[in-house]
Amino acid sequence: MRPFMLWKLLPVGLSYALLQVALRFKDDGGLAKRLKDRDPRAMSDLYDRYGRLAYSLIYRVVRNTGAAEDLVQETFLRVWNRVQSFDETRGALGPWVLTVARNRAIDYLRSVDGKMSAGALELDRLETPGMFSSFDDGALTLDRARILKKAFEKLTPTQRQVIELAYYEGLSQTEMAERMNQPLGTVKTWVRSALKALRDDLAGEALA
Amino acid sequence: MNPCQDFHDDFELYALGVLDPEQKAEIDAHLRTGCATCEAALKDALAVNAILMSMAPDVVPPARVKRRVLAGVGVQRMSWSWLATLAAASMLVVALWLSVQERSRAAELAQARHTLLQVSSQRDRLLQALSFLDDPSTVPVSFGKGQPLPPRGNVFVHSKLGVLLIASNLPPAQAGKTYEMWVIPKGGSPRPAGLFQSEGGGTAMHILSGPLDVGTLGAVAVTLEPEAGSPAPTSTPIIVAALAGL
Repeated sequence: MRPFMLWKLLPVGLSYALLQVALRFKDDGGLAKRLKDRDPRAMSDLYDRYGRLAYSLIYRVVRNTGAAEDLVQETFLRVWNRVQSFDETRGALGPWVLTVARNRAIDYLRSVDGKMSAGALELDRLETPGMFSSFDDGALTLDRARILKKAFEKLTPTQRQVIELAYYEGLSQTEMAERMNQPLGTVKTWVRSALKALRDDLAGEALA
Repeated sequence: MNPCQDFHDDFELYALGVLDPEQKAEIDAHLRTGCATCEAALKDALAVNAILMSMAPDVVPPARVKRRVLAGVGVQRMSWSWLATLAAASMLVVALWLSVQERSRAAELAQARHTLLQVSSQRDRLLQALSFLDDPSTVPVSFGKGQPLPPRGNVFVHSKLGVLLIASNLPPAQAGKTYEMWVIPKGGSPRPAGLFQSEGGGTAMHILSGPLDVGTLGAVAVTLEPEAGSPAPTSTPIIVAALAGL
Protein backbone atom coordinates (compact mmCIF):
# COMPACT_ATOMS: atom_id res chain seq x y z
CA MET A 1 0.00 0.00 0.00
CA ARG A 2 1.29 3.45 -0.84
CA PRO A 3 2.14 5.80 2.07
CA PHE A 4 -0.52 8.12 0.75
CA MET A 5 -3.12 5.43 1.22
CA LEU A 6 -1.91 4.85 4.76
CA TRP A 7 -2.48 8.40 5.91
CA LYS A 8 -5.87 8.35 4.26
CA LEU A 9 -6.82 5.57 6.64
CA LEU A 10 -5.84 7.58 9.71
CA PRO A 11 -8.32 9.70 11.68
CA VAL A 12 -8.63 13.15 10.13
CA GLY A 13 -6.90 15.04 12.93
CA LEU A 14 -4.00 12.66 13.17
CA SER A 15 -3.53 12.29 9.44
CA TYR A 16 -3.45 16.04 9.08
CA ALA A 17 -0.98 16.41 11.92
CA LEU A 18 1.35 14.21 9.89
CA LEU A 19 0.46 15.75 6.58
CA GLN A 20 0.90 19.28 7.82
CA VAL A 21 4.63 18.84 8.00
CA ALA A 22 5.07 16.11 5.40
CA LEU A 23 6.12 17.99 2.31
CA ARG A 24 7.59 15.08 0.50
CA PHE A 25 6.27 11.59 0.00
CA LYS A 26 8.24 8.65 -1.24
CA ASP A 27 6.03 8.28 -4.26
CA ASP A 28 5.92 11.97 -5.20
CA GLY A 29 7.95 11.01 -8.25
CA GLY A 30 5.32 8.47 -9.27
CA LEU A 31 2.60 11.02 -8.72
CA ALA A 32 4.46 13.59 -10.80
CA LYS A 33 4.84 11.00 -13.55
CA ARG A 34 1.11 10.32 -13.47
CA LEU A 35 0.43 14.06 -13.63
CA LYS A 36 2.65 14.30 -16.67
CA ASP A 37 0.81 11.35 -18.21
CA ARG A 38 -2.48 13.14 -17.51
CA ASP A 39 -3.78 10.28 -15.40
CA PRO A 40 -7.27 11.48 -14.37
CA ARG A 41 -6.78 10.34 -10.77
CA ALA A 42 -3.39 12.01 -10.38
CA MET A 43 -4.79 15.49 -9.84
CA SER A 44 -7.22 14.17 -7.27
CA ASP A 45 -4.32 12.51 -5.44
CA LEU A 46 -2.22 15.67 -5.62
CA TYR A 47 -5.06 17.69 -4.15
CA ASP A 48 -5.62 15.12 -1.41
CA ARG A 49 -1.95 15.36 -0.52
CA TYR A 50 -1.37 19.10 -0.65
CA GLY A 51 -4.75 20.79 -1.13
CA ARG A 52 -5.38 21.45 2.55
CA LEU A 53 -1.89 22.84 3.08
CA ALA A 54 -2.25 25.08 0.05
CA TYR A 55 -5.67 26.31 1.13
CA SER A 56 -4.50 27.00 4.70
CA LEU A 57 -1.48 28.95 3.45
CA ILE A 58 -3.48 30.96 0.93
CA TYR A 59 -6.20 31.71 3.43
CA ARG A 60 -3.56 32.89 5.93
CA VAL A 61 -2.35 35.35 3.31
CA VAL A 62 -5.59 36.65 1.80
CA ARG A 63 -7.99 36.15 4.75
CA ASN A 64 -10.88 35.73 2.38
CA THR A 65 -12.67 32.45 1.71
CA GLY A 66 -13.85 33.22 -1.82
CA ALA A 67 -10.45 34.52 -2.91
CA ALA A 68 -8.73 31.55 -1.25
CA GLU A 69 -10.88 29.11 -3.21
CA ASP A 70 -10.12 30.90 -6.48
CA LEU A 71 -6.41 30.96 -5.71
CA VAL A 72 -6.28 27.27 -4.80
CA GLN A 73 -7.86 26.48 -8.13
CA GLU A 74 -5.34 28.74 -9.86
CA THR A 75 -2.49 27.11 -7.95
CA PHE A 76 -3.34 23.59 -9.03
CA LEU A 77 -4.07 24.68 -12.57
CA ARG A 78 -0.63 26.25 -12.73
CA VAL A 79 0.99 23.08 -11.38
CA TRP A 80 -0.97 21.00 -13.91
CA ASN A 81 0.13 23.24 -16.77
CA ARG A 82 3.78 23.28 -15.78
CA VAL A 83 4.33 19.78 -14.49
CA GLN A 84 5.91 18.67 -17.75
CA SER A 85 9.04 20.57 -16.69
CA PHE A 86 9.09 18.97 -13.25
CA ASP A 87 11.84 16.46 -12.58
CA GLU A 88 9.93 13.48 -11.25
CA THR A 89 13.13 11.62 -10.37
CA ARG A 90 14.57 14.32 -8.10
CA GLY A 91 11.82 16.84 -7.52
CA ALA A 92 9.76 17.59 -4.39
CA LEU A 93 6.11 18.32 -5.14
CA GLY A 94 5.20 19.74 -1.73
CA PRO A 95 7.57 22.72 -1.73
CA TRP A 96 6.66 23.47 -5.32
CA VAL A 97 2.90 23.41 -4.72
CA LEU A 98 3.26 25.51 -1.56
CA THR A 99 5.49 28.03 -3.28
CA VAL A 100 3.04 28.38 -6.16
CA ALA A 101 0.18 28.73 -3.66
CA ARG A 102 1.99 31.37 -1.63
CA ASN A 103 3.01 33.30 -4.72
CA ARG A 104 -0.54 33.28 -6.10
CA ALA A 105 -1.77 34.64 -2.79
CA ILE A 106 0.94 37.33 -2.57
CA ASP A 107 0.26 38.26 -6.17
CA TYR A 108 -3.41 38.66 -5.27
CA LEU A 109 -2.56 40.86 -2.27
CA ARG A 110 -0.36 43.06 -4.40
CA SER A 111 -3.02 43.39 -7.08
CA VAL A 112 -5.59 44.38 -4.47
CA ASP A 113 -3.15 47.00 -3.16
CA GLY A 114 -2.56 48.28 -6.69
CA LYS A 115 1.05 47.11 -6.57
CA MET A 116 0.91 44.83 -9.60
CA SER A 117 4.29 45.28 -11.17
CA ALA A 118 7.44 43.51 -12.13
CA GLY A 119 7.00 41.62 -8.86
CA ALA A 120 4.52 39.30 -10.54
CA LEU A 121 7.10 38.27 -13.10
CA GLU A 122 9.65 37.80 -10.36
CA LEU A 123 7.36 35.47 -8.44
CA ASP A 124 6.67 33.59 -11.63
CA ARG A 125 10.38 33.05 -12.16
CA LEU A 126 10.84 31.82 -8.60
CA GLU A 127 8.34 29.01 -8.91
CA THR A 128 9.63 27.29 -12.02
CA PRO A 129 9.53 23.51 -11.53
CA GLY A 130 13.28 23.22 -12.09
CA MET A 131 13.96 25.01 -8.82
CA PHE A 132 12.29 22.27 -6.79
CA SER A 133 14.56 19.34 -7.47
CA SER A 134 17.74 17.93 -5.96
CA PHE A 135 16.85 18.63 -2.34
CA ASP A 136 18.95 16.90 0.26
CA ASP A 137 17.30 13.74 1.54
CA GLY A 138 17.03 15.25 4.99
CA ALA A 139 15.82 18.68 3.94
CA LEU A 140 12.12 18.00 4.26
CA THR A 141 11.88 15.45 7.04
CA LEU A 142 9.30 15.59 9.78
CA ASP A 143 12.08 16.03 12.36
CA ARG A 144 13.37 19.08 10.57
CA ALA A 145 9.88 20.55 10.44
CA ARG A 146 9.44 19.93 14.14
CA ILE A 147 12.77 21.61 14.94
CA LEU A 148 11.92 24.59 12.78
CA LYS A 149 8.55 24.96 14.42
CA LYS A 150 10.15 25.01 17.86
CA ALA A 151 12.79 27.44 16.69
CA PHE A 152 10.13 29.75 15.28
CA GLU A 153 8.31 29.74 18.60
CA LYS A 154 11.54 30.84 20.32
CA LEU A 155 11.87 33.98 18.19
CA THR A 156 11.16 37.38 19.69
CA PRO A 157 7.84 39.01 18.78
CA THR A 158 9.51 41.45 16.37
CA GLN A 159 11.51 38.65 14.75
CA ARG A 160 8.33 36.65 14.29
CA GLN A 161 6.56 39.69 12.92
CA VAL A 162 9.14 40.37 10.22
CA ILE A 163 9.19 36.71 9.22
CA GLU A 164 5.41 36.72 8.88
CA LEU A 165 5.49 39.96 6.91
CA ALA A 166 7.92 38.37 4.47
CA TYR A 167 6.27 34.98 4.15
CA TYR A 168 2.58 35.84 4.45
CA GLU A 169 2.44 39.39 3.14
CA GLY A 170 5.31 39.40 0.68
CA LEU A 171 6.83 42.60 1.99
CA SER A 172 10.41 43.54 1.23
CA GLN A 173 12.56 44.79 4.06
CA THR A 174 12.08 48.36 2.85
CA GLU A 175 8.30 47.85 2.90
CA MET A 176 8.53 46.31 6.36
CA ALA A 177 10.45 49.33 7.62
CA GLU A 178 7.75 51.61 6.29
CA ARG A 179 4.97 49.46 7.71
CA MET A 180 6.62 49.17 11.12
CA ASN A 181 7.88 52.73 11.09
CA GLN A 182 11.38 51.52 11.87
CA PRO A 183 14.79 52.25 10.31
CA LEU A 184 15.61 49.91 7.43
CA GLY A 185 18.80 48.83 9.15
CA THR A 186 16.90 47.79 12.25
CA VAL A 187 14.46 45.74 10.23
CA LYS A 188 17.28 44.09 8.30
CA THR A 189 18.88 43.15 11.61
CA TRP A 190 15.64 41.61 12.85
CA VAL A 191 15.17 39.65 9.65
CA ARG A 192 18.72 38.37 9.49
CA SER A 193 18.81 37.46 13.17
CA ALA A 194 15.50 35.64 12.88
CA LEU A 195 16.58 33.59 9.88
CA LYS A 196 19.96 32.90 11.45
CA ALA A 197 18.28 31.65 14.63
CA LEU A 198 16.16 29.28 12.59
CA ARG A 199 19.14 27.99 10.62
CA ASP A 200 21.26 27.63 13.74
CA ASP A 201 18.63 25.54 15.49
CA LEU A 202 18.36 23.33 12.41
CA ALA A 203 22.14 22.96 12.22
CA GLY A 204 22.44 22.38 15.95
CA GLU A 205 19.88 19.61 15.95
CA ALA A 206 21.52 18.08 12.91
CA LEU A 207 24.85 17.91 14.74
CA ALA A 208 23.31 16.66 17.99
CA MET B 1 34.54 32.77 6.10
CA ASN B 2 32.77 31.38 3.11
CA PRO B 3 32.77 34.21 0.50
CA CYS B 4 29.20 33.29 -0.45
CA GLN B 5 27.91 33.56 3.12
CA ASP B 6 26.42 36.99 2.62
CA PHE B 7 24.33 35.57 -0.18
CA HIS B 8 23.31 32.56 1.85
CA ASP B 9 21.89 34.81 4.54
CA ASP B 10 19.49 36.25 2.01
CA PHE B 11 18.47 33.14 0.11
CA GLU B 12 15.20 32.66 1.97
CA LEU B 13 14.14 36.21 1.15
CA TYR B 14 15.45 35.82 -2.39
CA ALA B 15 13.35 32.68 -2.90
CA LEU B 16 10.33 34.50 -1.50
CA GLY B 17 10.79 37.33 -4.01
CA VAL B 18 10.98 39.99 -1.31
CA LEU B 19 14.58 41.13 -1.67
CA ASP B 20 15.16 44.69 -2.68
CA PRO B 21 16.12 44.94 -6.39
CA GLU B 22 19.82 45.64 -5.86
CA GLN B 23 20.36 42.62 -3.59
CA LYS B 24 18.35 40.40 -5.91
CA ALA B 25 20.43 41.50 -8.91
CA GLU B 26 23.63 40.62 -7.07
CA ILE B 27 22.40 37.13 -6.22
CA ASP B 28 21.12 36.54 -9.73
CA ALA B 29 24.49 37.46 -11.13
CA HIS B 30 26.29 35.18 -8.71
CA LEU B 31 23.99 32.21 -9.35
CA ARG B 32 24.61 32.56 -13.07
CA THR B 33 28.26 31.70 -12.39
CA GLY B 34 27.10 28.19 -11.43
CA CYS B 35 28.34 28.33 -7.81
CA ALA B 36 27.52 24.84 -6.52
CA THR B 37 27.73 25.91 -2.87
CA CYS B 38 25.15 28.61 -3.41
CA GLU B 39 22.96 26.27 -5.44
CA ALA B 40 22.88 23.89 -2.49
CA ALA B 41 22.27 26.72 -0.03
CA LEU B 42 19.42 27.96 -2.18
CA LYS B 43 17.84 24.49 -2.05
CA ASP B 44 18.14 24.59 1.72
CA ALA B 45 16.47 27.97 1.78
CA LEU B 46 13.64 26.67 -0.41
CA ALA B 47 13.15 23.77 1.99
CA VAL B 48 13.09 26.10 5.00
CA ASN B 49 10.61 28.33 3.23
CA ALA B 50 8.36 25.38 2.40
CA ILE B 51 8.36 24.18 5.99
CA LEU B 52 7.61 27.67 7.33
CA MET B 53 4.80 28.05 4.79
CA SER B 54 3.34 24.73 5.91
CA MET B 55 3.01 26.14 9.41
CA ALA B 56 0.10 28.40 8.48
CA PRO B 57 -2.90 27.76 10.76
CA ASP B 58 -4.87 24.78 9.57
CA VAL B 59 -8.05 25.66 7.70
CA VAL B 60 -10.16 22.92 6.14
CA PRO B 61 -11.18 23.83 2.61
CA PRO B 62 -14.80 23.26 1.60
CA ALA B 63 -15.35 20.10 -0.45
CA ARG B 64 -16.31 22.18 -3.46
CA VAL B 65 -12.72 23.42 -3.76
CA LYS B 66 -11.54 20.00 -4.84
CA ARG B 67 -14.35 19.74 -7.36
CA ARG B 68 -13.39 23.14 -8.71
CA VAL B 69 -9.73 22.15 -8.94
CA LEU B 70 -10.56 18.97 -10.82
CA ALA B 71 -13.02 20.72 -13.07
CA GLY B 72 -10.41 23.44 -13.68
CA VAL B 73 -8.04 20.93 -15.26
CA GLY B 74 -10.75 19.09 -17.13
CA VAL B 75 -10.97 16.17 -14.73
CA GLN B 76 -14.63 16.23 -13.87
CA ARG B 77 -14.99 12.67 -12.79
CA MET B 78 -16.76 12.45 -9.49
CA SER B 79 -14.72 11.39 -6.54
CA TRP B 80 -15.55 8.18 -4.75
CA SER B 81 -16.76 10.12 -1.75
CA TRP B 82 -19.04 12.13 -3.97
CA LEU B 83 -20.28 8.97 -5.61
CA ALA B 84 -20.75 7.42 -2.21
CA THR B 85 -22.75 10.46 -1.09
CA LEU B 86 -24.84 10.25 -4.23
CA ALA B 87 -25.33 6.53 -3.78
CA ALA B 88 -26.30 7.01 -0.14
CA ALA B 89 -28.75 9.75 -1.10
CA SER B 90 -30.20 7.56 -3.84
CA MET B 91 -30.56 4.66 -1.47
CA LEU B 92 -32.26 6.93 1.03
CA VAL B 93 -34.70 8.11 -1.62
CA VAL B 94 -35.38 4.52 -2.69
CA ALA B 95 -35.81 3.46 0.94
CA LEU B 96 -38.21 6.32 1.55
CA TRP B 97 -40.12 5.50 -1.62
CA LEU B 98 -40.31 1.84 -0.65
CA SER B 99 -41.39 2.83 2.84
CA VAL B 100 -44.13 5.05 1.44
CA GLN B 101 -45.12 2.32 -0.98
CA GLU B 102 -45.10 -0.21 1.81
CA ARG B 103 -47.20 2.03 4.03
CA SER B 104 -49.55 2.73 1.15
CA ARG B 105 -49.76 -0.96 0.32
CA ALA B 106 -50.33 -1.82 3.97
CA ALA B 107 -53.08 0.79 4.17
CA GLU B 108 -54.65 -0.56 1.00
CA LEU B 109 -54.44 -4.09 2.35
CA ALA B 110 -56.01 -3.01 5.63
CA GLN B 111 -58.78 -1.25 3.77
CA ALA B 112 -59.32 -4.28 1.54
CA ARG B 113 -59.34 -6.55 4.57
CA HIS B 114 -61.82 -4.25 6.25
CA THR B 115 -64.05 -4.19 3.17
CA LEU B 116 -63.78 -7.95 2.84
CA LEU B 117 -64.76 -8.38 6.47
CA GLN B 118 -67.67 -6.03 5.98
CA VAL B 119 -68.79 -7.85 2.84
CA SER B 120 -68.23 -11.18 4.50
CA SER B 121 -70.14 -10.06 7.54
CA GLN B 122 -73.00 -8.74 5.42
CA ARG B 123 -73.01 -11.94 3.43
CA ASP B 124 -73.15 -13.97 6.64
CA ARG B 125 -75.97 -11.81 7.95
CA LEU B 126 -77.83 -12.17 4.67
CA LEU B 127 -77.34 -15.94 4.70
CA GLN B 128 -78.45 -15.93 8.29
CA ALA B 129 -81.50 -13.86 7.32
CA LEU B 130 -82.23 -16.20 4.42
CA SER B 131 -82.10 -19.14 6.75
CA PHE B 132 -84.91 -17.46 8.74
CA LEU B 133 -86.93 -16.87 5.59
CA ASP B 134 -86.35 -20.31 4.14
CA ASP B 135 -87.36 -22.14 7.26
CA PRO B 136 -91.07 -22.96 7.32
CA SER B 137 -91.11 -22.89 11.11
CA THR B 138 -90.20 -19.22 11.18
CA VAL B 139 -92.98 -17.03 12.51
CA PRO B 140 -93.37 -13.71 10.63
CA VAL B 141 -94.90 -10.69 12.33
CA SER B 142 -95.36 -7.38 10.52
CA PHE B 143 -95.33 -3.98 12.16
CA GLY B 144 -96.19 -0.42 11.18
CA LYS B 145 -99.09 -1.25 9.00
CA GLY B 146 -101.81 1.33 9.30
CA GLN B 147 -99.73 3.54 11.56
CA PRO B 148 -99.38 7.20 10.55
CA LEU B 149 -95.60 7.26 11.02
CA PRO B 150 -93.08 4.83 9.70
CA PRO B 151 -91.15 2.63 10.16
CA ARG B 152 -92.63 -0.45 8.76
CA GLY B 153 -91.35 -3.97 8.37
CA ASN B 154 -91.33 -7.51 9.68
CA VAL B 155 -89.98 -9.50 12.55
CA PHE B 156 -89.20 -13.17 11.98
CA VAL B 157 -89.06 -15.40 15.01
CA HIS B 158 -87.58 -18.88 15.06
CA SER B 159 -87.22 -21.11 18.07
CA LYS B 160 -83.68 -22.13 17.22
CA LEU B 161 -82.38 -19.29 15.05
CA GLY B 162 -83.63 -16.38 17.16
CA VAL B 163 -85.19 -13.10 15.94
CA LEU B 164 -84.73 -11.32 12.60
CA LEU B 165 -85.83 -7.70 12.28
CA ILE B 166 -86.19 -6.07 8.83
CA ALA B 167 -87.37 -2.49 8.79
CA SER B 168 -87.73 0.32 6.29
CA ASN B 169 -88.20 4.04 6.68
CA LEU B 170 -86.21 3.95 9.88
CA PRO B 171 -84.43 7.29 10.05
CA PRO B 172 -80.77 7.34 11.12
CA ALA B 173 -80.34 7.60 14.84
CA GLN B 174 -79.33 11.01 16.16
CA ALA B 175 -75.77 11.63 17.12
CA GLY B 176 -74.91 9.77 20.32
CA LYS B 177 -77.93 7.53 19.96
CA THR B 178 -78.52 4.03 18.68
CA TYR B 179 -81.41 1.68 18.13
CA GLU B 180 -81.84 -1.13 20.61
CA MET B 181 -84.03 -4.16 20.05
CA TRP B 182 -85.94 -5.80 22.94
CA VAL B 183 -87.58 -9.16 23.34
CA ILE B 184 -90.49 -8.93 25.73
CA PRO B 185 -91.81 -12.12 27.28
CA LYS B 186 -95.50 -12.37 27.95
CA GLY B 187 -96.04 -10.67 31.27
CA GLY B 188 -92.30 -9.99 31.66
CA SER B 189 -89.83 -7.17 31.40
CA PRO B 190 -88.04 -6.28 28.14
CA ARG B 191 -84.69 -8.03 27.66
CA PRO B 192 -81.91 -6.37 25.63
CA ALA B 193 -81.61 -7.96 22.16
CA GLY B 194 -78.76 -5.97 20.60
CA LEU B 195 -77.88 -2.58 19.18
CA PHE B 196 -78.07 -1.56 15.52
CA GLN B 197 -78.14 1.39 13.16
CA SER B 198 -80.23 2.01 10.09
CA GLU B 199 -78.54 2.12 6.68
CA GLY B 200 -78.37 5.14 4.44
CA GLY B 201 -81.73 4.46 2.74
CA GLY B 202 -83.54 4.08 6.05
CA THR B 203 -83.47 0.30 5.94
CA ALA B 204 -82.26 -1.81 8.81
CA MET B 205 -81.73 -5.46 9.50
CA HIS B 206 -80.89 -6.85 12.89
CA ILE B 207 -80.59 -10.41 14.13
CA LEU B 208 -80.70 -11.80 17.63
CA SER B 209 -79.09 -15.22 17.30
CA GLY B 210 -79.84 -18.15 19.51
CA PRO B 211 -82.67 -20.35 20.72
CA LEU B 212 -85.77 -18.65 21.88
CA ASP B 213 -88.96 -19.77 23.59
CA VAL B 214 -91.38 -18.55 21.01
CA GLY B 215 -94.30 -19.70 23.11
CA THR B 216 -93.54 -17.28 25.95
CA LEU B 217 -92.52 -14.37 23.71
CA GLY B 218 -95.01 -11.51 23.84
CA ALA B 219 -93.44 -8.89 21.58
CA VAL B 220 -90.31 -7.55 19.90
CA ALA B 221 -89.73 -3.82 20.28
CA VAL B 222 -87.17 -1.17 19.25
CA THR B 223 -86.34 1.98 21.16
CA LEU B 224 -83.88 4.79 20.65
CA GLU B 225 -81.21 4.56 23.35
CA PRO B 226 -77.90 6.14 24.29
CA GLU B 227 -74.97 5.00 22.11
CA ALA B 228 -73.76 2.45 24.66
CA GLY B 229 -77.19 0.90 24.94
CA SER B 230 -79.41 0.47 28.00
CA PRO B 231 -80.29 -2.47 30.20
CA ALA B 232 -83.95 -1.41 30.03
CA PRO B 233 -85.83 0.82 27.58
CA THR B 234 -85.58 4.53 28.36
CA SER B 235 -87.82 5.84 25.59
CA THR B 236 -91.08 5.13 23.90
CA PRO B 237 -90.78 2.21 21.46
CA ILE B 238 -90.49 3.14 17.79
CA ILE B 239 -91.28 -0.38 16.66
CA VAL B 240 -93.55 -2.86 18.40
CA ALA B 241 -94.22 -6.24 16.86
CA ALA B 242 -96.69 -8.08 19.05
CA LEU B 243 -96.55 -11.86 19.00
CA ALA B 244 -99.27 -12.43 21.57
CA GLY B 245 -102.23 -14.24 20.14
CA LEU B 246 -100.28 -15.74 17.25
